Amino acid sequence: MATTELPLPALPEAHHEEPGGIVDYLTTVDHKKIGVLYMVTAFAIFLAGGVLALLVRVELARPGLQVMGENTFNQVFTMHGTLMIFLFAAQVSTGFANYMVPLQIGAADVAFPRANAMSYWLYLFGSLIVFSSFFVAGGPAAVAWTAYPPLSTEYFQGTGMDLWIIGLAVVGIAGILGAVNLVTTIFRMRMPGMTMFRMPLFTWGVLVNQLLILFAFPPLTVAFALLFLERNFGAKFFSAAAGGDQLVYQHVFWFFGHPEVYIIILPIFGVISEVIPVFSRKPLFGYRAMVFAFFAIAALSFGVWAHHMFTTGAIYLPYFSIMSLLIAVPTGIKVFNWIGTMWRGSITFSTAMLMALGFILVFVNGGITGVMIASPPIDFAVNDTYFIVSHFHYIMVGGLLFGMFAGIFFWFPKFTGRLLSERLGRWQFWTFLVGFNLTFFPQYLVGLDGMPRRIADYSIERWEPANLASTIGAFLTGVSVLFFIWNFLVSIRRGAPAGDDPWEGNSLEWATSSPPPHHNFHQLPEIRSERPTFDHRHRGDPAFAAAHSDPERG
Amino acid sequence: MQPRRRVPAARWLAVTALTLAAAGCAPQSVTEQGRAIHNLYNLFLYIAAVVFLIVSGLVLWSVVRYRRRDDELPTQTHGNTRLELTWTAIPFVIVLFLFVATLQAQNKVLDPVASPALKVTATAFQWSWRFTYEGTGAEVIGTPERVPELVVPVGQTVRVKLESADVVHSFYVPQTLFKRQAIPGITSEFDLTFEKVGLYHGQCTQFCGLQHPDMVFRVRVVTQGEYQTWLAAARRGSAGQPGT
Repeated sequence: MATTELPLPALPEAHHEEPGGIVDYLTTVDHKKIGVLYMVTAFAIFLAGGVLALLVRVELARPGLQVMGENTFNQVFTMHGTLMIFLFAAQVSTGFANYMVPLQIGAADVAFPRANAMSYWLYLFGSLIVFSSFFVAGGPAAVAWTAYPPLSTEYFQGTGMDLWIIGLAVVGIAGILGAVNLVTTIFRMRMPGMTMFRMPLFTWGVLVNQLLILFAFPPLTVAFALLFLERNFGAKFFSAAAGGDQLVYQHVFWFFGHPEVYIIILPIFGVISEVIPVFSRKPLFGYRAMVFAFFAIAALSFGVWAHHMFTTGAIYLPYFSIMSLLIAVPTGIKVFNWIGTMWRGSITFSTAMLMALGFILVFVNGGITGVMIASPPIDFAVNDTYFIVSHFHYIMVGGLLFGMFAGIFFWFPKFTGRLLSERLGRWQFWTFLVGFNLTFFPQYLVGLDGMPRRIADYSIERWEPANLASTIGAFLTGVSVLFFIWNFLVSIRRGAPAGDDPWEGNSLEWATSSPPPHHNFHQLPEIRSERPTFDHRHRGDPAFAAAHSDPERG
Repeated sequence: MQPRRRVPAARWLAVTALTLAAAGCAPQSVTEQGRAIHNLYNLFLYIAAVVFLIVSGLVLWSVVRYRRRDDELPTQTHGNTRLELTWTAIPFVIVLFLFVATLQAQNKVLDPVASPALKVTATAFQWSWRFTYEGTGAEVIGTPERVPELVVPVGQTVRVKLESADVVHSFYVPQTLFKRQAIPGITSEFDLTFEKVGLYHGQCTQFCGLQHPDMVFRVRVVTQGEYQTWLAAARRGSAGQPGT
């Protein structure tokens, strides 16, 4: 089968032979390098947020105050949530997307490379503004990551709160800019033959995720602007005494806050949908259903925000309940299609695949408890307890991190040309799986027993065993991350050479060198299905002719 | 959870025991309204457990049965419409069933009784509670150091009118399986009918600032006679602070 020469835009010659030094990274507009910057920055923030999580666990291991006072504890958990949700979870997939989307659709770069660089630098400096609150008088915000007024307006006076608002608003604007860029890239930059329904599922996940950002981040920016005005300029949007309404903040915040969950998890669904077919040596089961499930989840996600407000007593419960319950249907389609992909496959247990399997198990656990708390009466019982903490960590830590590490083990060879150590990967996987469940499963139980979240201390002694187990599990999870860092540092220098296509991949990123050249492709295979690299590999084999594997035809 | 079996050390037998005990069902409720929540929780949990076992069973079966044994490429199936419709329809039906059960339980929890035996205004403030007994002049005011008690008669419906004096708080008594946010400017009403005499832990669950963990209260459920005695004393102001 012939390969098609890609018509490349003429590039200045200097761009082909760039040095790889610091100056290069500071000035780059290459989507791959910007992707790397995003991923490295997000991972550094993840480590900082992880240390804060360990501090929380140390304090809660036993009743009584041991290592910090209440104010410090409040700052620690506030910043843990802030770093993890705003600055890590939503950003690390943007890093993957930056690197992978142009490769997967056969483009030379994103639609607006300079705006792409600007997004990253806004993200970095916004994050640094948030971090700078550690160094001002009064320290960082101690208002929980949701920053409900009037606590965050009239009652928390420190500059740290203003830096929190400003920094996150800047990061939000970076996200909107990045979303415009990636959505345009996916709609406008696909190579000839790459129809929408031949795009890899990761690219689909990114498309839907970035569309959600376009609709969800502006309300967040509004919420922050209103908070800032109320704090500094005497506005009274949320102040009941002056005719304002606190519930308005809750509505606007969660109108962002719930789609945010899907902003975080949809690209991860995409990663899982890439990894499982490759290591099962089968095409993705039900490709079209998987795409429609993405859109169903995205549409529903804008109708469920007030399930975070069931306990306000000011919500029409049945509507938000049924919408939230319904999300289980498209999510279930995804899980069953992943199983359908593995069914009668030929499964290799690489670390990437192990992580994907771990993802399914912990995500289903978190999803099922999600169905439970979509029911208002059950939420009345467990809202704001450790049951909720455990539920969303099963989605966020379990779902996001297992999926993220699946993606890292899968694509590291493409990023660097070297393989991560599978032996260390296995150590990481098992310590993570055990450590994670040991941390969070007991939290379901103390939550059911009534332990509230966001408390520095507890007086009820029967909560201690679960908390102690949780703390030990958290440190085991920390050890698993150390395995990864060790693996990364060793493999990036001395890892086995990966070659272009170490896993027998399906999508276009495996059709170029590792790492790819500046303009991504010297030549591209013909696109006849959603698995162009697979088709190219089997081009001499009539049993697997392209028609056989095109979801558009059969 | 399978991975938990790998955890060594007998010390965590306690945790395992707690797992088995608590994973079975929600804590028993001590109010009439909470019983509906308890039953609903258990219904959800049983269905959830079955779904989880089926899904993880299918995953483990695929992993064991279809591990790579040779280089032969497996049959390249792309999907199966009938199968996919099935696993769309079944969750849909389950969800609708759960929704109907939810509505029924919700009505039992939230429907106000026509004439509650007593009305108490609970005011949350940084960082304690004030309970004002409507029409009696009795009032209990706590501090973070002196835990306030809400004294109520057993078997009688208490209408709680919840307010906040400053930031958002949340009124939560774990053994009622119920909580409600106290939002500045809003009076939120709900009924509690305690069925068992006893002393129950209560706590603010909406983060409300520095001493949020200390914002504890207790509900003391007593017989009708004891309640009348307490109320008379509280009116005179002599026993208005039964807390410790």
